[in-house]
Amino acid sequence: MSQTNNRQAIHYQAQDRECEIFNAAANNKLPVLLKGPTGCGKTRFVEYMAQQLKRPLFTVACHDDLSATDLVGRHLIGANGTHWQDGPLTRAVREGGICYLDEVVEARKDTTVVIHPLTDHRRLLPIDRTGELVEAHPDFMLVVSYNPGYQNLIKGLKPSTRQRFIALEFDYPQAKLEASIICQETGLDTQRAEQLVLLGEEIRRLKDHDLEEGASTRLLIYAAKLMQSSLSTVEACMAALAQPLSDDRDTIKAIERLVNAHF
Amino acid sequence: MEEFIGEVWHKYISAKVATGYPEAALELTHLQSQLSTYFHGLGGAPGKVVEAAEARALNNHRPLLQRIAGSHRRASLCWQDQRSLRLPPVIDYLPEKSLNEALYFWLAALAAKLPKMSHWFLDNQLATLTILKTHPGLKTGYEKLAKAVVEQRPLIEHLPLKLQAREQAMQQAILKPGSVDSLPMAAGDPLFVPLWLYPAPLFDVANNQAQDDEEQASSAKKETNEPPETLDTPRKEAQRFDDEKQTDGLLVFKLDALFSWAEQVDMDRSQQEDLDQDLQGAADDLDVITLSKKRKAGSAKVKFDMDLPAPFTDDLYLGPGIKLPEWNYKKRAMLKDFCFLQPMVSDEATPKKLDNNLKKEANALKRQFNLLRPISALQRRQPFGDEIDLDAWLDIKTQPNATLDGENLYLAKKQNERDMSTLVLADLSMSTDSGVTTQQRVVDVIRDSLVLFSEALSACDDPFALYGFSSIKNKQIRYQLLKNFSETYSDETRGRIMAIEPGFYTRMGAAIRQSVSVLKLQKSQQKLLLIISDGKPNDIDHYEGRYGIEDTRQAILEAKRQGIQPFCITIDSQANDYLPYLFGDQGFALVRKIQQLPKLLPKLYLNLTQSI
Repeated sequence: MSQTNNRQAIHYQAQDRECEIFNAAANNKLPVLLKGPTGCGKTRFVEYMAQQLKRPLFTVACHDDLSATDLVGRHLIGANGTHWQDGPLTRAVREGGICYLDEVVEARKDTTVVIHPLTDHRRLLPIDRTGELVEAHPDFMLVVSYNPGYQNLIKGLKPSTRQRFIALEFDYPQAKLEASIICQETGLDTQRAEQLVLLGEEIRRLKDHDLEEGASTRLLIYAAKLMQSSLSTVEACMAALAQPLSDDRDTIKAIERLVNAHF
Repeated sequence: MEEFIGEVWHKYISAKVATGYPEAALELTHLQSQLSTYFHGLGGAPGKVVEAAEARALNNHRPLLQRIAGSHRRASLCWQDQRSLRLPPVIDYLPEKSLNEALYFWLAALAAKLPKMSHWFLDNQLATLTILKTHPGLKTGYEKLAKAVVEQRPLIEHLPLKLQAREQAMQQAILKPGSVDSLPMAAGDPLFVPLWLYPAPLFDVANNQAQDDEEQASSAKKETNEPPETLDTPRKEAQRFDDEKQTDGLLVFKLDALFSWAEQVDMDRSQQEDLDQDLQGAADDLDVITLSKKRKAGSAKVKFDMDLPAPFTDDLYLGPGIKLPEWNYKKRAMLKDFCFLQPMVSDEATPKKLDNNLKKEANALKRQFNLLRPISALQRRQPFGDEIDLDAWLDIKTQPNATLDGENLYLAKKQNERDMSTLVLADLSMSTDSGVTTQQRVVDVIRDSLVLFSEALSACDDPFALYGFSSIKNKQIRYQLLKNFSETYSDETRGRIMAIEPGFYTRMGAAIRQSVSVLKLQKSQQKLLLIISDGKPNDIDHYEGRYGIEDTRQAILEAKRQGIQPFCITIDSQANDYLPYLFGDQGFALVRKIQQLPKLLPKLYLNLTQSI
């Protein structure tokens, strides 16, 4: 769990009307579901919106051992006996703020029990350990994200859960936008950024055939950052774009060829 | 002696004119998968594969010596069509291995940018220019290649005078693409350019068109015109087959027994069944439709049914066979005992060791699945156990009124977390005979998948069984036992898997019903029915289209009612049309690239077991 405070301004370039939709959802106290491939800017978007809305953000990266207790809270032993410690979800519900459950399908099934009453008109969080029923703060908002990819082929969200959210689909940004994002994030020159984006598109074409997932915007930014340091362009691309995506020698070699074709 | 001299001469003259650098030769097979990835990455159509090209005849100028030796008439050109990109099987054109390798990748890149060609000379230059613009990294590489290629071409002044201008233009176009917009005319084809793509070879279809029409007209006069039947099938690759010189029937007797023409009876066996309704199905099943040039002969119908194998060559029948019901959606009723299913086992399959090609993959999977062996997982809140469950203790401590009576405060080690039996049902119908690549058929991929899957599952001790099925109408559904639940995976089982052969049709409903009854006997908590298929259910009777789908759906619903989890893995690209209806949105997976099936199957199994 991490709580982000609004210290420095976060950059986010809208791809479409997602900011407006998110704002409308926030104003109407509706929960939001973000779907899209890895590293296309879902988390960044939530951080940005939290800052825009001036609400604290509670981010929880879900994993397969994450249970409802981790979200709601637990009893801890202190010097003066035991005391109750709120989990990130409970804090957001009490204090008002955005609770962001990243990769929600990874979490255990029992988490849906706490999500359901929070995502309809009741906006309640029952804490069975303490017997408390917390009514959500007007500023509370639940945002979940998931990645409809191969590994979630079976896992997918249950329709009964999906139906409770406003959903926004994310994808890798358009070439021009992506290049400008890279420039802004790393200060790379436009020409090389554009070349990098072209390379990224080519690698993305290999998805589902040779790669499980294409090169994310995040990886492109990493590559650009490496380029800005002392590494050579090709080295940077290999380290950031080829090796992380595949273990297959032939695929890596082919990607190396693609890199060489650009730089 | 003559032969000896001939041979010596051939060797001498061939060596004299041989071009290329065998010591720098590079074979396509070493680079094929890299090239394919590269080609697709650069924008080549996703379904296109990379294949070796056959040598094609060229009509270009050859020096005297080459003409004497009779060499250099053919070259392996690079070209592509809808299906694949053809690259030369070997490149030894340039003196250095690295250059030849670069040439391969260059051709793949060019092909990705030039999916359709209208003008060979201009389009190649144009595509070269575009690539060099979008991929500045290729620039120096191309310059090197172009220089090396031009060095291999004959000096302009050595050529006959009338060819000089054209060769000059060619070399210019290679070195400075885009700088020449027209090619001077000269006799023959321009000299072979290894850097460029060539158009797909043309097959002479238009030939004899007039004659064809004429014949059609005359035959139409004689016969009453039947209403034209329109077959709503995707376009098929067509071949013209010239049967003009052949007789209409098959002469299967010795020719010396043919005394007079009177003995040759023009027989027309009457049709017992109307086959017209199956024309559509038959057309769907064929890959290439061969068209007869002779209208009349073509219109004669031949009735045939695929015969069952003779009893002595067929697999061993197990038991008297099983009667199974089938769902008729029109009557909305179950037809009792409508299908006859024959379990069988291949008794002639010899035990086999694991194939060398699969060893590496199998070992990797085994290691992975070994980790999934039921390890002792800790169970919380148990009445007995090895360790104290602090969470449980804390819970009690935080409730002041709680007593310690009967509380479960221990962590116990749990023995087997995953309790699942899997039955894999593989479609072995004739359609799996179709080729994935030239060397590999769908059934080969299914076989590899089954082997790897078995290797993986035997490593983690999960019980599993393997069956295959095919059918010929409702009277015989062949249910092939490859491995049952009780036997251990061994060389014998592997031999049986390796011996599977495609045949007949896909009556899926009955096979699923039988698998369910086998799986039902398993005592494990979860039961998974994994179906590997390459297309819709179909058979030669009415079992196709909606009928087959409805019956299969019924069988799947029955399975679900009995607590079995069905899951389908298909390679049919149109699966999205009907599989959601059969298996539900989350109940199937479409594998687009079938070569990946062997690797994907165990992965899918993991996903399934973790989510259920």
